[in-house]
Formats: sequence, C-alpha cells, structure tokens
Amino acid sequence: MKLLLVLCGLMLASVGNVYAEERSASLDWLETVAFAGHQTDYSGVFVYQYDNRVETSKIIHVTEVNGEYEKLESLDGPQRQIVRHDGQVWDYSDHKAVQVESQQVSGKFPSLLPEQLSALSANYQAKLLGVERVAGYNAQVILFQPKDNLRYAHKIWVHTDSGLLLKAAVLGDKNKLVEQYAFTQLQIGGDIDRSWVKLPQNVSGSSAIAKEITPANSGWTVDMLPAGYKKNMEILRSMRGKHAPVTQMVFSDGWSAISIFIEPNDQDEDDVDGLSSRGAMNLYHKVVDKNLITVVGEVPPRTVMQVLESVRYNGK
Amino acid sequence: MKQSISALMDGELFEDEAENLLGEVKDDATVRKNWAVYHLIGDALRQPDHIHCDLSAKVRERLREEPVVLVSRGRVAKRKIRTWAISAAASLAAVSAVAWMSLQISPEGAPKMAMQQNAARPVNMQTRPSSNDYLIAHQEFSPSAEMDGSASYIRTVSYGGDEAPVKNIPNEK
Repeated sequence: MKLLLVLCGLMLASVGNVYAEERSASLDWLETVAFAGHQTDYSGVFVYQYDNRVETSKIIHVTEVNGEYEKLESLDGPQRQIVRHDGQVWDYSDHKAVQVESQQVSGKFPSLLPEQLSALSANYQAKLLGVERVAGYNAQVILFQPKDNLRYAHKIWVHTDSGLLLKAAVLGDKNKLVEQYAFTQLQIGGDIDRSWVKLPQNVSGSSAIAKEITPANSGWTVDMLPAGYKKNMEILRSMRGKHAPVTQMVFSDGWSAISIFIEPNDQDEDDVDGLSSRGAMNLYHKVVDKNLITVVGEVPPRTVMQVLESVRYNGK
Repeated sequence: MKQSISALMDGELFEDEAENLLGEVKDDATVRKNWAVYHLIGDALRQPDHIHCDLSAKVRERLREEPVVLVSRGRVAKRKIRTWAISAAASLAAVSAVAWMSLQISPEGAPKMAMQQNAARPVNMQTRPSSNDYLIAHQEFSPSAEMDGSASYIRTVSYGGDEAPVKNIPNEK
C-alpha cells in the first residue's frame, strides 16, 4: 500500500513536471516570437481570414540603425497602406498620409515583459502540439487555451528556425475559428526591398493629429473585468476628429487587451449604441450619462459588453 | 423591471431581490415573456449553435393530454428492455412532433428567431468613420501587437463589409 502511494506520488510529481516544462517551453517560444518579429528582416504575403472573408496583404519588415520599419499593404479591395516606424504609424489611404499613432515611449525591447509572461501563464494553459508545415517552413504549433469563456483561445505556428510567426488562429467557443493569419509566401532575410524606407514628408498639419498623451486618473472605474485583467495604463489623449481629449484605459491579461475610451458625447445623436466586430476584435459603443463610452478588445462580444455595462464614474 | 431581469441574468441581484423577481417570473406572464426574450437576445449575441426555443408550454399541453398508464410492477420489470426501446423511440417521436407542432402553430416564430440571430451577428466596422481610429489606438497598446507586429494592423487595413451596424442590443432605459 505504501509502495503504491509512493508510486502515485512519483507519478503525480513527474506529470506536474512535464506540465511545467511544457508551459515554460511554450513561454520560451513566445519570447522568441516577440524577439524575432522585431529583429528579423522579412517580406511576404499573407492571408487574413475573418467573418467568412479572406483578404490578402503584403508585409515587409526591415530593421535599420534607427529602428524598425514595416509596411503593410492590402492587395485586394481598396488600396491601403500602413507604415510603421517603431511606435509611429501612418495610414495611407487616398494618397494621403495620416499619422494615426505615435507612441512616445520608444524602446519596446524586450517586447514581452516578464510580468506579461506570468500573466499569460496564469490566464491561459499552454500546450505544445507538434510540428506542421506552413508556407514551406516547419512550424512548432502551440495552443493557448483560456481558463474561462470570456477570452479567445490562441493557436500559433512558429517557424522552428527563425522564430517568426507563420500563422496565428484565434478560436472561440467550441474551437470555432474567429480569425486567422497565415503566410502563404515568405522570404526571411536576404535581399529585401528597402526603397520605401523613409518617413512620410507630406503629412499635412491639419490631418496629422497633434499627439498629446498624458497619464491621467479620470475617476472612472470598471467593475466587471474578466479575472486576470490588470490595468496597464490610463491616459488622456487627443484623437482624430475629436475636440475634447479622450480618456483611454488599457487592461491586459498578458495576451489580449481591452481598451476603454471615454469622451463627452458631442454628437447630437444618442443612437450610437452598437456592437461591431472585425475578426477577433470587438467594439461596443454606448452613451452613458452624456459620455460616449467605447470598449475595444480582442475578446468575445459578450466580454466587451459586460465590461462596458460595468463602467462607472467613481469621482476623483 | 427589464433592468432587474437583465441584472438577474448577469448575477448582479441580491438573493432576496432575485427571489422576488423569480416569483414574479413564475406568476406574471408578461414578466415571463420578457425573461424569455432577454435570454433569446443573450443567446443570439453569443451565437450558439442552438438557439433557445421555448417549447415548455407545448410540452406541458401534450403531457396533460397523455393518458396515465397504470401497470403492475412485475410486468414492467419483465418487459424492461423492450419498454425502454419503445419509449426511446416514442420520446424521439414526441420531440419531433412537438418541434414540428410549434413550427406549425407559430409559422413566423422560427424565421423571426433566425432573423434576430442574423441581425445580432456583429458586422464590420463601418459604423462611424472613426471606428478604425479606436482600433488603431487600442492596437498600439495591446500585447498582441507585440506578437504580430504590423500584422495586427491588418484588421484596420482590411476593408470589411458594407453591412449596417447592429442596433438591437438590449438597451435598458
């Protein structure tokens, strides 16, 4: 009997060990992905699949002495380009460059912070699923299964040599595909077109947003965030087409984030309530006490709605 | 009232409030209807494979009409397997009959539900011109951007559909 108990104990210990090893291996892969994604030069074509649609885009990513440059171009539908240089993002539609985002906080390395990794392992269960082929490369498949139904599961295919993300799928209830990116063609390193690498000069003063980001504490609180979501920051920012500054709060569980935007409702129409989505990203608007509240996140619709309903003003 | 139903569904009511409300659900047909509608809306939003369809009234009706069969214990035991097989078949038949009947009784019931589910399905960001700005503003601070790099901006590059925004979210006033 004693022997049996000891055996059982040993078995449990080794199972626990295997589990812990698998988890740490999965997290190591994530760190590799985050690092490789920033440091590797690559160009390729990938498909983005969401809501029964398929769109093809081209991506080029190069690292120069003064940072990363990345160009994303839609290959079907209206022509659109997004260029990113570190934290600055330009949106080229209709032959006009509009600076949409510029994060003053540079130096994003190391891109996955230790806190983020520990949050990840607290909220998701990681599983290594073997090796598959994507775009002609061998890829390690890793599944991150959430511990509740308020977030999506994530499945990633990581190039075993370079650590680049070759494919990523977001899965909802019953493992239903919510959205998916996959490279169909990819060149890693070598001769990559850099002719486009320059900062846009023709950014007109009026359409570019004067970026004012200040840390803030607005007095708004959220009561019903899913477990494990921690507040990353709260800022007061300007936004395109908005007169008054907008409060943005960001909460994250290590993988996905939920942003809450609060602004005075300067539009006369009250009829802005609504849920909209693109792939895994869901957005919900609602006017609460003359404030327009917008919740955005890579979380299921029920989560953005639950979060919005629980936003309230707590006073300063 | 609608507000408290919604609160109850979200588990936000205190125990005594919940009991009162449940009492009302039991007694008042209007409240019961609201309760069912709210669940239907919730289901439609969650987009399950099966949507809640209230058969309870019809099942109750059928059961009331069902004759009560009195058989001695010994005979039941002897024919156990066969009875089980027959009752399984019978209940299958009953389920389909009830389902079929409910479709017949309220011909617009099923399409309406299907429509509701369709409409509640979130559609693409064409709501307001600035929806994309929120997406991009959000994306910049999302850890998933760390993983995908610009690929995460694909959601904003993608042109999406031209369907109308969803408006039939329960809106308690």
